[in-house]
Amino acid sequence: MKKTKLAQAGLLDIIREVGETAASVWWHFFDWLAQVEWRKLVIIWLLFLVLSASLFHINEQIWGFVLASFGLKVLAGGKRKAELEARNAETHADEESIERRVVEARMAALQAQVEPHFLFNTLALIGQLIETDPPQAARIHQNLIDYLRATLPQMRAKGTGTLGRQIEMSRAYLAIMQARMRTRLAVSIDVAEEMLSATFPVMMLQILIENAIKHGLEPKIDGGRIDIRASVDGQMLQVDVIDDGIGFNAFAGDGIGLANVRERLRIQYGNRAQLVIEAPLTGGTRASIRVPYAPDIFHGTSK
Amino acid sequence: MNRPTALIADDEEGMRQQLRSRLHDAWPELQIIAEAANGIEAVALAGQHQPDIVFLDIRMPGLSGIEAARMLFNRCHLVFVTAYDQYAIEAFEQGALDYLLKPVGGERLKTTCIRLQSLIGQQPSNIERQLSQLLSHHSKPPAKQEYLRWIQAVVGANLRMISTREVLFFQADEKYTRVQTEQSEVLIRKTLKELADELDPDEFWRIHRSTLVRVDAIVEVTRDLRGRQMVRIRNHPQLLEVSRGHTHLFQQM
Repeated sequence: MKKTKLAQAGLLDIIREVGETAASVWWHFFDWLAQVEWRKLVIIWLLFLVLSASLFHINEQIWGFVLASFGLKVLAGGKRKAELEARNAETHADEESIERRVVEARMAALQAQVEPHFLFNTLALIGQLIETDPPQAARIHQNLIDYLRATLPQMRAKGTGTLGRQIEMSRAYLAIMQARMRTRLAVSIDVAEEMLSATFPVMMLQILIENAIKHGLEPKIDGGRIDIRASVDGQMLQVDVIDDGIGFNAFAGDGIGLANVRERLRIQYGNRAQLVIEAPLTGGTRASIRVPYAPDIFHGTSK
Repeated sequence: MNRPTALIADDEEGMRQQLRSRLHDAWPELQIIAEAANGIEAVALAGQHQPDIVFLDIRMPGLSGIEAARMLFNRCHLVFVTAYDQYAIEAFEQGALDYLLKPVGGERLKTTCIRLQSLIGQQPSNIERQLSQLLSHHSKPPAKQEYLRWIQAVVGANLRMISTREVLFFQADEKYTRVQTEQSEVLIRKTLKELADELDPDEFWRIHRSTLVRVDAIVEVTRDLRGRQMVRIRNHPQLLEVSRGHTHLFQQM
């Protein structure tokens, strides 16, 4: 009794498995049929016909296969193919938009970091200047306001600004650092008038400048100089931040800032933009951002 | 009786001025005998002038305030000064170290001055242990710091720094190693063996005698007609072979 029951159960399992396999084979075949090119299908038919006629003499079944697959492809193939493609595209689009959103959120969070060390030191300096040099205190205070106003709302604002706006923001930061470092920091900005209206992503120049000062010049006993230059070569706008600081440590982390710049360039421009870090033979560090040059064509005409 | 003496070390001139004038108000007898603009100068001037007290800013070029303190703690009484230093302030609050927050002044400075007045003439307390602790906190982060993060490659007349985050894979190419990023391909002299030793092993995997691949650039692992595992890389057409000895890397995938 028991034995037969077990045998029955085993048999049922086998039948079920065979059924499932057959179904999956059938759907695989169906998907393949739906997506295969007509040209390929015709060649396969011909091959089958030739083979079967010459070797196995089973003409009728083969004609049946040909007709059935032809019918299926015509009737259901188009719909099935469209379905599969749509599903494919959907998952792809989903992945892309999710990735984009995740990256954007991360970028926003990263940009939001005004360094507390910078903020507290600047406030301490303003406190000191109020006693010793009130007009200078007022200037630094204004610079700090400009810096914060430009930095804080831009955490939320997406997209691009102009190079001119980015340089303005950086001037406020540089003025504060010069007030703190005094003779230890020399600054020169060399950007042609017509480039100021060109599109340039927000907070990138700022990050390069902060890096140059924080990692290059502040740790150097004598300090040094920072040069900001812009040039256009063909279709590309290149902005360089050059310092003669202590140079690059190959084992130091990439830093949140540079990774942020690189990632945002990739999202905004794909392969058409670049962040290049170089260690010139003369010492120090040169960081360059290259983006497609998009001057404001109305600039100048409206004035 | 000799007037007590002090040295002020801060890389920002404004901050030195401020501390000097506030100290003058809070403790007129205290004589500021020297000012230092960096950690090295602080140690040198302290050796030269033998002050009773040294005020040390924490972030200074040359030597940090904490590094300078390690050379000075048995010779003079130390007070740290900082505007903001998360790690240090946490450590100060637990330990026996005296510290001031910028802008210095008010009751806090008075308390410190009273404490220092009672200490003048006494042997400074041994704070070596606290300083070592502080130093290990301060040179954060301890983990992961020692891996190579930048590849140096000669491009034209310049030495270019390529972040390892940009690198898709490294491949041995006779005497050189090819560094492949999404945007460029450069040759460097460093051997694959050297790179494998210096890079973060969680970031790059050796999949072949001549290939190191960035783990999160891997899109999929397939088999070719000969049954070899092949790795496909994001945004790059080249397929990379996984040699037999390394197929275990992808067993669970």
